[in-house]
Amino acid sequence: MRQEHADEYAEFASARAGHLYRSACLLAAGDTHLAEDLVQETLGRLYVRWARVSRVGNPAGYAQTVLTRTFLAHQRRRSSTERATDVFPDLPAADGSDGGDSALLRLTLLDALGRLPPKDRAVVVLRYWEDRSIAQTADVLDASSAAVRTRCVRALARLRELLGEELGAYARP
Amino acid sequence: MPESPEEHHESEQPLDEYELRLGAALRLAGDAYDADRHALVTGGTTRGRRMRMRRRAAVVAGAAGVALAGVSGALLVPWHGGSGPASAAASVGAAPRTAHATASPAPVTGAAMVRTLEKLLPKGTFAHVGSRGSDEEPTGFPYATVVYDDGKGAAGISVSLNRVVPGGTDARQAVTCPDKVAIPYDACTSRRLADGSVVMVFQGYEYPDRRVDTKRWTADLVTPTGQHVSVSEWNAAQEKDSPVTRSQPPLSAAQLTDFVAARAWRPLADAVPEDPHQAAEPAPESGGAPIVGTLAALLPKGVHVVTRSRKSEDDAGSYAYVVVDDGKGRSLVQINVQPDMSDVAGDLFGSGDETLADGTRVAQHQGPGDKGVAGVVMWTVDTLRTDGRRVVVSAFNSGTQHDAATRAAPALTMQQLRAIALSPQWLSAG
Repeated sequence: MRQEHADEYAEFASARAGHLYRSACLLAAGDTHLAEDLVQETLGRLYVRWARVSRVGNPAGYAQTVLTRTFLAHQRRRSSTERATDVFPDLPAADGSDGGDSALLRLTLLDALGRLPPKDRAVVVLRYWEDRSIAQTADVLDASSAAVRTRCVRALARLRELLGEELGAYARP
Repeated sequence: MPESPEEHHESEQPLDEYELRLGAALRLAGDAYDADRHALVTGGTTRGRRMRMRRRAAVVAGAAGVALAGVSGALLVPWHGGSGPASAAASVGAAPRTAHATASPAPVTGAAMVRTLEKLLPKGTFAHVGSRGSDEEPTGFPYATVVYDDGKGAAGISVSLNRVVPGGTDARQAVTCPDKVAIPYDACTSRRLADGSVVMVFQGYEYPDRRVDTKRWTADLVTPTGQHVSVSEWNAAQEKDSPVTRSQPPLSAAQLTDFVAARAWRPLADAVPEDPHQAAEPAPESGGAPIVGTLAALLPKGVHVVTRSRKSEDDAGSYAYVVVDDGKGRSLVQINVQPDMSDVAGDLFGSGDETLADGTRVAQHQGPGDKGVAGVVMWTVDTLRTDGRRVVVSAFNSGTQHDAATRAAPALTMQQLRAIALSPQWLSAG
């Protein structure tokens, strides 16, 4: 890679790695090892294609797309699509301001995400964490808008079922 | 898939209350994860390099005997014929993780990295930020990052170790000062030490556009046997998003050199698994005349070449630049000649772009420079031959992409750029 591109790439990767990692943690439903792996794979792919990526605009959006597709490809390779019941999400270390209630709620949410099929989980993360529209989400997943809507409705219903009213506690000011 | 009433709404619906709460919940859960960005970027870059090497090696050597599995590629095959059988194992991101090492030195731990780093620094206080050993998942280079304070202000210092093929591309690039046309910096020197190691000391900025004036000073040392020691220091506690705490990073250029040259790093670097993809690295692909020579020869009469890219910037013979002056100010002209680019034709050319009689596609752009410097314009002619060879030429109204404009328009017209891009000379290049 020529120096100018290498510097651009390094700056981009450093600036975006944090956000990509947080997205990956949600996609991986709290499996931080998998999340690190997904981010590194994503950055690796960007590195290889950087000259092109940097020219076609919106590398951040492109990176998110690569991350999501990398996650889905990884899930396809796995035989099981549901989290084994004895595996719990890796929770970030609690700081002083982080009460036990909040940590428990996060655990519950991540566990619920882990029970969604991977594509439904990707839809939830893209729609409600990345704030992507239905059409944009459909582009990332290479699916129709109708299919994304269907997954969205199904995922929301499943999350309501799993989380009940607990979700309300997150929205407290 | 069950039909849903939502299917029939074609326009975007505003989010309902539950969806909004879910968004807030995801932010709460997601924002709590703190990334070790250095490790992620280092690991990502390593994978990218390996992917590239794999691709090049595949082109040159065909199926070369080493089967690859998975994405992490922690392949532990000795370069120089170790004692073990020539077996290769890869760690894959998915559980279960398996990594079978053949003849590999004892791994270095993250704690050993931190200890060595602290021992080699002058007296001061340390706060531990992060570290990784050579055997930790996900596979990466051993590194340690600390916040160091010698009494004059907190400064981030990060050291990482790697092994590179002696004389290979990575070894060369690690100790080659970047071109000032590509990135601004205050000083950079590269020199050979008495033991044959080469060390580069770079004094530049965290943000090349200097939107924040964080200084980044680095030293990279590559030994004759391929041990690569890299240290970075900042005049801020962290590399990004952290206020400047002092006018300069704590270690001088001479101290940086001593730091990376310290013998203590050598045995630790030996613990980094060798990467057979690097060993499979073919000779540089640029067998023909350097592109920069062809570019210079194709320039119109009346423009004087002030500087040109050196061979080291000539990435596998695909990139070159010249800075020209026609008497009205400097103008950067850069070119990429890339084979096998048909797969991205859709990204590069639109339906409104031209297709020549021989099938060559041509797109012309005139817009702002891609570094966001006010007043800098970039004129580009992008071409794609039917054999997949892409030739893209850009000219700027400045001698670099990051400096202020030196003139109203680039020194070459769109027509002249087009003539360069479409020259039959490129058919034999690269």
